[in-house]
Amino acid sequence: MSALSPNIATRLAPHALPLAIAAFVVVFSIIEPAFLKPDNLVGIVRQVAMVGIMATCMTFVIMTGGIDLSVGPVLALSGVVAFFVMEAGYPLPIVLAVGLASGVAVGMVSGAMIAFFGLPPIIVTLAMLSIVRGSALLLGGPDLHSIRDQPGYTFIGTGSIAGIPFSIYLFIAVSLLVIFLQKMTPIGICVAAIGENERAAFLSGHRTRTTKMWLYALSSFGAALAGIIQSSQVHTASATYGEFGTELDAIASVVLGGTSLMGGNGSVARTIVGVMFLGIMSNGMNILNVSIDIQLIAKGAIIALALALAERG
Amino acid sequence: MRVQSAFIAVVLFFLAVLAFFCAFAPNFATASNFEDLMAGFSFIAILAIGESFPILLRGIDLSVGAVLALAGMVAFDMTLMFDLPGYLAIPAALIVATLCGALNGVLIVKLRLQPFIATLSTLAAYRGLVYAISGRQLVPELATTPLSDPWIMGLDTYFDIGSATGLSSFIELPWFPLSFFIMIATLVVFGVLLSRTRFGRDIFTVGGNAEAARLAGINVGRTIIIAYAICGFCAGLAALLMIARLSTTTESLGLGMEMSAIAAAVIGGVSLSGGIGGLSGPVIGTFLLGMVLIGLTLLGISQFVQQILTGVILLIAVGHDRFLAIRRQKRLAANLAEEA
Amino acid sequence: MPAAANPNAASSSLVEARGLTKIYGNLVALDKADFRVMRGEVRALIGSNGAGKSTLIKILTGAVMPTSGSVKLDGVELPLGRPEEMIRHGIGCIYQHSNMAPAMSVLDNIFLGRQPTRRFGLVDVKAQRREAEELLERYGIDLDLDAVVGELPTVKQKEVEIVKALALNAKVLLMDEPTGWLATSEVRRLHDTIRLLKSRGVGIVYISHMLDEIFTVCDTMTIMRDGCVIAEADVSDMTRAKVIELMVGDRLARESSAAAHEARHPRGNGEVRLSVKGLTRRGMFRDVSFDLYGGEILCITGLIGSKRTELMHAIFGSEPCDAGTVEVDGKPVNFRSPGDAMAGGVGFVPEDRHRDGLMSGMTVTENLVMTTLNRFRRLFLLDRKGIEAASRRSIDDLSVKPPDGRKLVRHLSGGNQQKVLVGKWLRLGPKVIILDEPTVGVDVGAKAEIYAILRAERDRGAAVLVVSSDLEEVMTVADRIGIMVSGRLRSIHDAAGMSMAQVVAEIGAE
Repeated sequence: MSALSPNIATRLAPHALPLAIAAFVVVFSIIEPAFLKPDNLVGIVRQVAMVGIMATCMTFVIMTGGIDLSVGPVLALSGVVAFFVMEAGYPLPIVLAVGLASGVAVGMVSGAMIAFFGLPPIIVTLAMLSIVRGSALLLGGPDLHSIRDQPGYTFIGTGSIAGIPFSIYLFIAVSLLVIFLQKMTPIGICVAAIGENERAAFLSGHRTRTTKMWLYALSSFGAALAGIIQSSQVHTASATYGEFGTELDAIASVVLGGTSLMGGNGSVARTIVGVMFLGIMSNGMNILNVSIDIQLIAKGAIIALALALAERG
Repeated sequence: MRVQSAFIAVVLFFLAVLAFFCAFAPNFATASNFEDLMAGFSFIAILAIGESFPILLRGIDLSVGAVLALAGMVAFDMTLMFDLPGYLAIPAALIVATLCGALNGVLIVKLRLQPFIATLSTLAAYRGLVYAISGRQLVPELATTPLSDPWIMGLDTYFDIGSATGLSSFIELPWFPLSFFIMIATLVVFGVLLSRTRFGRDIFTVGGNAEAARLAGINVGRTIIIAYAICGFCAGLAALLMIARLSTTTESLGLGMEMSAIAAAVIGGVSLSGGIGGLSGPVIGTFLLGMVLIGLTLLGISQFVQQILTGVILLIAVGHDRFLAIRRQKRLAANLAEEA
Repeated sequence: MPAAANPNAASSSLVEARGLTKIYGNLVALDKADFRVMRGEVRALIGSNGAGKSTLIKILTGAVMPTSGSVKLDGVELPLGRPEEMIRHGIGCIYQHSNMAPAMSVLDNIFLGRQPTRRFGLVDVKAQRREAEELLERYGIDLDLDAVVGELPTVKQKEVEIVKALALNAKVLLMDEPTGWLATSEVRRLHDTIRLLKSRGVGIVYISHMLDEIFTVCDTMTIMRDGCVIAEADVSDMTRAKVIELMVGDRLARESSAAAHEARHPRGNGEVRLSVKGLTRRGMFRDVSFDLYGGEILCITGLIGSKRTELMHAIFGSEPCDAGTVEVDGKPVNFRSPGDAMAGGVGFVPEDRHRDGLMSGMTVTENLVMTTLNRFRRLFLLDRKGIEAASRRSIDDLSVKPPDGRKLVRHLSGGNQQKVLVGKWLRLGPKVIILDEPTVGVDVGAKAEIYAILRAERDRGAAVLVVSSDLEEVMTVADRIGIMVSGRLRSIHDAAGMSMAQVVAEIGAE
């Protein structure tokens, strides 16, 4: 780097992402005015809702220096579980509760292994990825299970209120809830403290292990909710949903939002900016008919570039 | 190098599992089954050997699956689109894969990215590149054309060692696939590199204590870049064996395979905390996973249960690694206490 | 031990540094310091924290470029500010913290990064082993070359570092607090090794706070204060008292006279707040019993490695113990975690503020409320205003500078960081407050402020337990002094009747 540019990079780093979003929006809307149509903008949010919910819920885990690779299979599991509870004829609230609980349970198991036995998060959640996928397949088989005559359940993914899809409301609600947890309750400070210095947090009387376990449960909860939205959106539940790559999208959003994988400072609100950034980019490139290959290359390059920039900042 | 206790444990576990399936799984202890095992898992073992290098440096390489697909596609394009002979395509694929790995290292060293993130972004980028250069899409009629280059297809050769040595009159031996020998050769070459050369020592030093390495004048950055390049090279090698076996390639070749490679390395006693492990462990780890998968299939157990068991084995491996680490600390404390 | 006549020692200087000066901004860290080491000499480098020792050492290892001055080795002028050149010319350094790859063998560690190689970069294992064995034999050091370093006892690890330096043909060895992590028997072993090296003509610079060790193993000493070399002498010509006097200068006179004016409150208000009976942890401490009263400051002192920190962690519930009981206000307690201890009214300011104490990437306010977060919970909401107010009060009380709660802790000076660390525990309002080395790496002004805070806590009626290796500090703040030797609490005295010399004598006695 030249002598001048680090200075600029340092000053721009905190605002790099919003600036980049603005730049992309301008470029896309000049090339293709349809980009700015309300329909398209709503479509973008709807598209990112599931990854967005997973990313916001995983932010805390990453802030503590952990990671959750198991969200994809958890997404599948909760859809399949919800389907079978529905088949058994239970009412909607129980269906949802059981579906979400299946996710939370998975998160608690991985969280307990990580927090209480000190096992590395990346491997534990990798193992859980395999275990949960296997369990979901065992439960539901590799087939698609179509969800019929369940207006309530179907509404979650396909219904809309005041012209805005219900899944967007869910995304907003979850985002607000997690931002609220971070900003307004002691949890935010506890999470940051664990990420900054887990030993000091422990010596300051915080129940670091229990907290960590629940953070993994929260992450899995997000995945389970996304699973319910997905199965409702496509009217089918399948153990093969949440294919490989889902977790990487969620992680990339969090990290783009400025949360370091080493733990410490992080912000749920900025995670959402990261989610929107990836969403706008992929939507814009779709509109511009950029082929999937270039999209993937661009995505990789942009993540690397953004983080290298943040590193200098 | 001292034999690590984690390695002994995985060997014992391997033998126990082997004995179990030989005793209980029908048709497990047959020549053709071992042939399947060797042919189906040798290239994963090569991938695991490569993955061990980043992990020894306390890093990780998530992009090996994408690198594998890229190398496969390069070989595919060169032989089918450009009608180039295999003796050019094979080195080209290997060079591309090695460069991809080296680029990972450069991102980590020069941009100071965390390995997880650097390889996560190249995972996307390399996979994109595969689509971009895919001969199957650029020239639609090639999509169904099988590979026919004698050099590449020659990698999918089997040797009847039993007949050649005359042993088959005593015992029915499997036909050994060439990929198995290539895997053994890879193991020997990189094993010697790791345990017998200064570069190998540097890897252990950098992984164990990067600060000490720097103070000892080791070029830490160069060590990291070379290690990731080796990982890329191994992915390229695995790609060639894989496309020879499939006699074609796809854009999604090797999708998710980094997980198998990481799992095999960890099961084989390569510690995620860096600086501990060898290369034989990951190979045994791979075949352990393979044996469980094949054995359970033969027992008629659903492949879904196999996935679950794969996860459980991984948890056992990492739990055992942790147990050893705690025991090391305890022993150290006990030593101190004795001295005091 | 007197400087024995030494066969190899020609009276030529091995290292000769002249006029070394290092200026950081306005701060003169080192002021025209001259420093010499002879062949076969063990020279002690003594001074309190901030005297300029570490700057001098860093210049000699090449880690720091001096503002002016020169260093000669064997009469050859050395290029400064380049670590690899200093190593090449033969200046080796044993750092306080380990610089080895723990999972590798002793042999590999000795040749870290520079193994002899044959063709194709293959390590010449035989040559390597031969060379190492020669070294071990020449210097009479006994090591198992195949042992894994991480599994060796600490003293053996130090020996590996020494051999590593010798393998680089070090003519001079700088040893920075080499006995910091060692048990007493290990220290003796290390000293035997040092004498051996000396008889082989190696020049050794021995940096230590332990006067005992200096009088045991060193021949000569250089005493530093405030960035200047203020005395050079043969050890045989000096007494401890004289060394301490030179080290601390008139500051000691000033402070101890100030301390003399402070009223002492042994056994404070007469109510036993914390009672420890027969506390034992195998391999750490044995059968420790004492009573701590409200309104007193009990200082527990001793050598580093006498397991005082481990004892405090056991009382606080953050580390286990094998036997014994702890009572708070006469009621037996069994703290299983720091949270338990805090609920029981016990606070603990740990020793290493970076590792155990502070979240350096978080703000002063967030750090200050870390121990009392639950008090700011209204239903499940965080009372931001209450937090701000509380933090402002603490910042005022402690006079943290700058007085800005939004500042990140890592941007504060060491002294202010320490005040934040103490402050976060005071906010808890504990009945018993334990402080482990409360003023390490803190400047004189902040030290005085922290002492004032401790006295205020005592006068509030809290029971204050201070672990300190800094005798000056002990003599200044203690109402009673406890002395710990090798995991046992040897004795407790009223501070008023003790002189520093008496304390030193008791600490050093086996």
